[in-house]
Amino acid sequence: MTARPHLYALGAIVVLGLLAAFGLREAVVLDLIFTLLLYAVLGQSWNWISGYAGNISFGHAIFFGCGAYASALCVTHGLTPWLAFPAGALTAAALALVTGFPTLGLRGHYFSIATIAVAALVETFARTTPWLGKANGFELPIASGWAALQFPQKGPYVVLALALFAAVQLATIALERSRLGYYLRALRANHAAAASVGIDERRCKLIAFAWSAAMASAAGVLYAQYTLFIDPPSTLALAISIDIALIGVVGGIGTLWGPAAGALVYVVLAKAVALRFGGAGKGYDLVIYGAIICLIAALRPYGIVGTIVDAIRRRRGALA
Amino acid sequence: MSEPLLQVRGLAKRFGSLRALDGVDLDVAEGSLTGLIGPNGAGKSTAFACIAGAEKPSAGSVCFRGREIAGTAYHRVAALGIGRTYQLVQTFADMTVLEAVTTGALLRRPRLRDAVAHAQEVLAFVGLAEKRYRLGRALTIADKKRLEVARALATEPALLLLDEVMAGLTPAECAEAVELLRRILARGVTVLMVEHVMEVLMPIAEHVVVIAAGKTIFSGSAAGAVRDPAVIAAYLGSPLEHSEIAERTP
Repeated sequence: MTARPHLYALGAIVVLGLLAAFGLREAVVLDLIFTLLLYAVLGQSWNWISGYAGNISFGHAIFFGCGAYASALCVTHGLTPWLAFPAGALTAAALALVTGFPTLGLRGHYFSIATIAVAALVETFARTTPWLGKANGFELPIASGWAALQFPQKGPYVVLALALFAAVQLATIALERSRLGYYLRALRANHAAAASVGIDERRCKLIAFAWSAAMASAAGVLYAQYTLFIDPPSTLALAISIDIALIGVVGGIGTLWGPAAGALVYVVLAKAVALRFGGAGKGYDLVIYGAIICLIAALRPYGIVGTIVDAIRRRRGALA
Repeated sequence: MSEPLLQVRGLAKRFGSLRALDGVDLDVAEGSLTGLIGPNGAGKSTAFACIAGAEKPSAGSVCFRGREIAGTAYHRVAALGIGRTYQLVQTFADMTVLEAVTTGALLRRPRLRDAVAHAQEVLAFVGLAEKRYRLGRALTIADKKRLEVARALATEPALLLLDEVMAGLTPAECAEAVELLRRILARGVTVLMVEHVMEVLMPIAEHVVVIAAGKTIFSGSAAGAVRDPAVIAAYLGSPLEHSEIAERTP
């Protein structure tokens, strides 16, 4: 019930992250931490609609892409990239509402199919639209400083990603302790029973989906400012959507720390496997990573955090 | 006599060519316990679903507190003050008992703290307080039914629809359930309950409505129902059984 342990854990992560951002000079490690935090944010974003509310999205990359493209458009049009946070979030939320409105009240897999379809449409649109850079994407002009949201070192990027991660985790702690959070869990468990206690399914899920999209967009803004190059394959591809969904599932759907755990497994595993077996074009890393995902899915379908929560409940006798 | 809390007239529901309901009339007086009975397949659960908003009726009117609610979205009906349970229990499987009842309480108390406090009170009322940290899926069938009642009560309904809450319970559990029903009525909640087993209803329902083949065939006292020829023919079988039951009924 109490949020205090979660707040302490989050505080510890923030302190550690800040120490790393200011203390470490190894670009590889900082890059890893930045990537990890970004994936944790994307996983949590996905978790809002697919974990808590239970509607699996296979199109989350486009919300990430909204932020990345908003950032590129702002910078190339001489506007501050900070504007990309609200602009990307609003665009992503609007896309989410359009995708979710006809499908979030339906049973079955219509929602998931719709997310794939809309993602494909958006990707094609970006690929063929001149003002979106077509297939070439955007190269962001080099700048420096907080106003331009670009830095020569990786430390400030880690600070930004850490701030975003903390904000998203705090929002999720608030969600879990709010009417919306209870309603989403109730809807996931049993939509008919949920309606019988007055829960408006479509309204609740649209709100969750819009917030989810806005969070993913913020991650996209940071990504664009970090890599300074975006194109459809790196920001809008189905493969990214699937990575995001995998992170959510592996970590444990509908749990506060699941996405972070999933991101940790994803990033560490992908790097470790790539270092050990990788090498250009062989793809062993993907085969091994895929096998590990299959094992987790088969043996621990509730994910890492879900398994831990179950064990705690068992000890407390909730299942007795 | 004052206007009934719930007034249903000519309620009809067709599924394709099947007429599940074909003219159900019923009145539920405020503060009463009304029984809705009928043989298997008579349309009791469908009538319930149409009143609660889970199904849209094909025709007819459902008037609640003087307001037409037929065809209103399911979740809005709950907000208007009708709570329900399901014949086959529909728990929020991975929520604890307290969380599930809190979810109900959130309808009228948007702040979580208030909702939890109200849920605790409702759980104490139905006798589930000690099991509040159990998961819904880990409860016995009797406790699951109790949980459904608690969840519906937490929405503070004026009218509670109970769909076969006694089915599958042992006689001891049934007695407990009847006692709980009496306390719910004492709380000022009006109850409409579907029951397949007539003996359960007889001692507690002031008023019964009998439906058969989707139509209301009787409306009146429980004692009157078992003496009514149409009810006997539809529900209880042959005239011979009729006389036997009529004699046994005080």
